[in-house]
Amino acid sequence: MYALGVPIAVPDEDADLVRFAIGGDDEAFTELVRRHKGTVLRSAARFARNPAELEDLGQETFLRVYRDLRYFRGDAPFGHWLSRITVHVCYDALRKRRREEKDLSLEVLAGPVADPSTGNGPSAQLARMILDQAMSRLKPEERLVITLFELEDRSVREVAELTGWSETGVKVRAFRARQALKRYIGGDDER
Amino acid sequence: MNDKRHDRRDVELDRYFALARQAPPDISGVERNFETRVMARIRESREQQDPWYAWAWRLAPIFLVLTILLTGWSVIYSPAHPDDPVATLASGTQEVALLDYLTGE
Repeated sequence: MYALGVPIAVPDEDADLVRFAIGGDDEAFTELVRRHKGTVLRSAARFARNPAELEDLGQETFLRVYRDLRYFRGDAPFGHWLSRITVHVCYDALRKRRREEKDLSLEVLAGPVADPSTGNGPSAQLARMILDQAMSRLKPEERLVITLFELEDRSVREVAELTGWSETGVKVRAFRARQALKRYIGGDDER
Repeated sequence: MNDKRHDRRDVELDRYFALARQAPPDISGVERNFETRVMARIRESREQQDPWYAWAWRLAPIFLVLTILLTGWSVIYSPAHPDDPVATLASGTQEVALLDYLTGE
């Protein structure tokens, strides 16, 4: 069983910890956070602009988990439920950010970037930075889908389950995101 | 020509994605003692005052008992209504007519 591309440790132990945490055992909840913080933070880091924002996204995710823990039915692994909450927290943050950054400047992407296949292409870090900047111009739902799809290597079905959208909706958003990214990275941005 | 350009851009974009996947984000700084900070925030949120709707739910049984008592009281102590509504109206107007007659209006 996998959550956000990372294997879940031992689901049964999670179930016990969840039960104890619902009963008010803070140590049990701490252990849950300790066990899953890497998964949550790695996923949230794809959407955060800096460590402070990553900290906020991570904390908000676990606060929401703590608040809604009594609604966890246990018919799916805890890690999967946690992944869905992480995705929703990140999506909310993207939507909020979109409202704040209506006039973001992207002059750095004004021209075609170097071909990464040649020796002179960007490094992995630079490629991530360029993609980050290009993706910051996408609509929140497009960015969420393309990140889960391309960077987290998720299937359409997994993305649909995590977001709660239909598989067709996911495909359409992924297609639109790719089209927009090609425009931004190619330097003929029309938006 | 246009299709070729789009194909080239698809390939280019896929290379960017492949490279970006090779550079997983660095979370080591945030990961350190993260659970301690989360628990501190949870304790802080627990110490904050309960929201009004939590109190509303706690007060619900009291409101229920009050409603039952008021309903019972209104059934037991309600005055009997006369059968004829015209008589009820007339009983009020007789006094007004007498007062008008006595005062000469």
